[in-house]
Amino acid sequence: MALWRGIPGFIVRRLLLGLLTLFVVSVIIFAATQALPGDAARSILGRGATPESLAALREQLGLNEPALQQYLDWIGGFLTGDLGTSLAANIPVSELLGDRLLYSAFLMLIAALISVPLGIVIGAVSARRRDTAFDHTMSMTTLGLAALPEFVVGLTLVVLFSTTVFQWLPGVVVTEPGVGPWNYPKELILPTATLVIAVVPYTARIMRASMVEILESDYVEMARLKGLSERLVLWRHAVPNGLAPTFQVAALNLAYLAGGIVVVETVFNYPGIGLALVEAVQSRDMPVVQALALLIAGLYVALNMLADIATILVSPRLRTSLAAR
Amino acid sequence: MTSADEALSREVERGMTRPDLLRRAAALGIVVAAGGSLGPLTEAALARTQIRRGGTFRLAVSGAGASDFIDGQHIVAKSDIARLMTGWDRLAYIDEKFRIQLELASELRAEKANQILIRIRPGIEFHNGKTLTIDDVIYSIRRTATKKLGLFGNGAFQSVDPKRMKKLDNRTVRLFLKRADVTLIEAFAQYFQGIVPVGYAPKSFRGGPLHTIGTGPFKLQSFTPGRQSVHVKNENYWRNGQPYFDQVVITNFPDDSAKVNALLGGQIDAMTDVPFAQVPVVRRRNNLKIFISQTGAWTPLCMAVDQEPFTDVRVRRAFRLLANRPQMVAQGLSGAGRIANDIYSPFDPAYAGDDFPQRKYDPEQARSLLKAANKENLTIDLITSPADTGMVEGATIFAENARAGGVRVNVKNVPGGELYGPQYLKWTFSADYWGTRSYLPQAAFGSLAGAAFNETHWDKYPNYPRYARLYRQAVATVDDRKRAAVIRDMQRMEYDDGGHIIWGFKNLTDAYSTKVGGFKPDRGTLNLNKYGNGFRTIYFV
Repeated sequence: MALWRGIPGFIVRRLLLGLLTLFVVSVIIFAATQALPGDAARSILGRGATPESLAALREQLGLNEPALQQYLDWIGGFLTGDLGTSLAANIPVSELLGDRLLYSAFLMLIAALISVPLGIVIGAVSARRRDTAFDHTMSMTTLGLAALPEFVVGLTLVVLFSTTVFQWLPGVVVTEPGVGPWNYPKELILPTATLVIAVVPYTARIMRASMVEILESDYVEMARLKGLSERLVLWRHAVPNGLAPTFQVAALNLAYLAGGIVVVETVFNYPGIGLALVEAVQSRDMPVVQALALLIAGLYVALNMLADIATILVSPRLRTSLAAR
Repeated sequence: MTSADEALSREVERGMTRPDLLRRAAALGIVVAAGGSLGPLTEAALARTQIRRGGTFRLAVSGAGASDFIDGQHIVAKSDIARLMTGWDRLAYIDEKFRIQLELASELRAEKANQILIRIRPGIEFHNGKTLTIDDVIYSIRRTATKKLGLFGNGAFQSVDPKRMKKLDNRTVRLFLKRADVTLIEAFAQYFQGIVPVGYAPKSFRGGPLHTIGTGPFKLQSFTPGRQSVHVKNENYWRNGQPYFDQVVITNFPDDSAKVNALLGGQIDAMTDVPFAQVPVVRRRNNLKIFISQTGAWTPLCMAVDQEPFTDVRVRRAFRLLANRPQMVAQGLSGAGRIANDIYSPFDPAYAGDDFPQRKYDPEQARSLLKAANKENLTIDLITSPADTGMVEGATIFAENARAGGVRVNVKNVPGGELYGPQYLKWTFSADYWGTRSYLPQAAFGSLAGAAFNETHWDKYPNYPRYARLYRQAVATVDDRKRAAVIRDMQRMEYDDGGHIIWGFKNLTDAYSTKVGGFKPDRGTLNLNKYGNGFRTIYFV
């Protein structure tokens, strides 16, 4: 079976494994949402609901069907691209989340575009100037920032730049519905900065660690002995080899961003899927909660897989060992 | 100083601006000096109010997310209330001092205890240009009375007979009630009793034909549930000179801190419900104001009088003595409220809570009552939920207080969906929340047999038939003083034997930018002076 061999085989195996993971996740999500107390009908109608109107709405929402049937309906719909209907808004989930997915992806993308290169540069330079003042300062700073949860970072930035110390930047994203957040560059600064601060420390520290190892390796020594400039040694010979573990960390962090935006979007009122998730949980809007949980899990699995594949592609040793199998 | 000047000065207080006044003065035949100078009184009043026309007022509210809707006669979340207030007027409204004032009605009175006459003002137009007639009023009353629509005001319309409304002319109708009910006038004055045009969304409060049409100060321009709505000035609004804003934008914020940050950063002009911890932050700013409304809202602990251990009145009395009310208000509400005496409706003219001896924290007395009832060393669950401020805090402090009386209270903090889930109104001991109402309407909601939210099962109390008889007598008594005496007897029964522990009345704590003027202290249920009376009595200064 040629399909199972070499790099294509590896990718196929990873894909299948990813799907299995997602299946397990979907069962867990469904079970968890079933176990939550309270129900959507009560939450939609409010305290003033009468028993008759509750019963009617439960029937209409399909809340009376057996759990297995509800699960099969849900997952079957999901596979055919039907994410179900929001219980709260009474419109298709895909319609409710369409814009918001785009907005969150945009926020993640700019955060990634800034944080990954920044992390790599900080890590590489720290390794290059090991044990200098720069290195120590960066080590302490990244360690400190890595220890802070995003909401602390976010609120601190708000206090510093928006409300209390300086009043330079808007501390909350107030956008018009239907107008993309990219039309509000000033509003985007603080949420993006929060996400960047959440991701850069990890990337930088891993990059530094792997670079320190590489800079002491024989082939780097060899390059130096050949008389290459230190700059050329670093960026042409050492950095490409240090990227493999960094890819892993960057991908994990991006996956982490998908979860982190829940907190960041709440702090800044950013109209993405994170805020939608918080609202959906508050209003027991299960189809939305389920769809978002599964989407975020899917993103996690996909990013990890991409990182593995990228790692193999940039590591000659792994590449050849897989090809030989 | 002329009487015309006085009249104009009053107009200013009611919200007229200089150009309006000049026009009005001309119309009244008042001679205005060259340069358009008005009388001294009027000038002073104008200077005092400094009303500027126009601008976009931006409000932040907490919402229900994607399930938000807009309807002239129904609400669930605060966001729905704010939006309802933009677009609809009622027959009457409850003013800042909790008095009933006429609005669309020029006459609204009980001719007899079971007969009400409604006459509306002439020449008022809906947003779509249609003139308001009595048919619209009849339709509005019928819509609320339609039980299966599940509208918020339905419960207060039990005495309305939708079939027996006699149209006398285009502006007048006479209602023949199923029974005597003097509370109906106040029911008509509730903010959610908007007058809607004939044919208005007949099937649902989530939309339908004409569902954005009212007579109110603003017309709906756009609405994205869970996000934002934009309302534009109704140029044909019937109240002279109002509203002042060109536009009102209402934005949902699921997170209270984000609202505060938006206010501090100048991205919004006003917000509802400042979290207690952030009140000092807002206070420190010169350009912001904290706005406190002393309301009659309450978060009682409810004892089911027909369930053990509360079947014994001595246990109920003991529990009421186990509430350290000053501590509950000071800590549970961060001082944003005042203590209460187990009686609701503090703004009802017949309120007697201040006349009965104030219950004090007395664990010793409670202990001996429990001993007499043979209920020492009680352990009991208290179900509460963060559905409203004070519910969890009050329950927790009560549990702490009760220990001194030898009672172990296990506080079960559950999500709102569970407290108000299938077990709601069946719990033995639970917390709940209420807004501001007069005594009789509140009793109809929460204490009578068949009341929608009879959380204490008061109708199972052995002496309840007397209470029910007093209620029937009260709603049939048109004379205010005689009715007050009957209501007082009802309160006495609840004070002595009832199942509510009413430990405090809460303040609403809102905030706004000093760029905005016109907010007046308000005793009602709604935030921000009823959202500036539907955003029409507030303005940029």
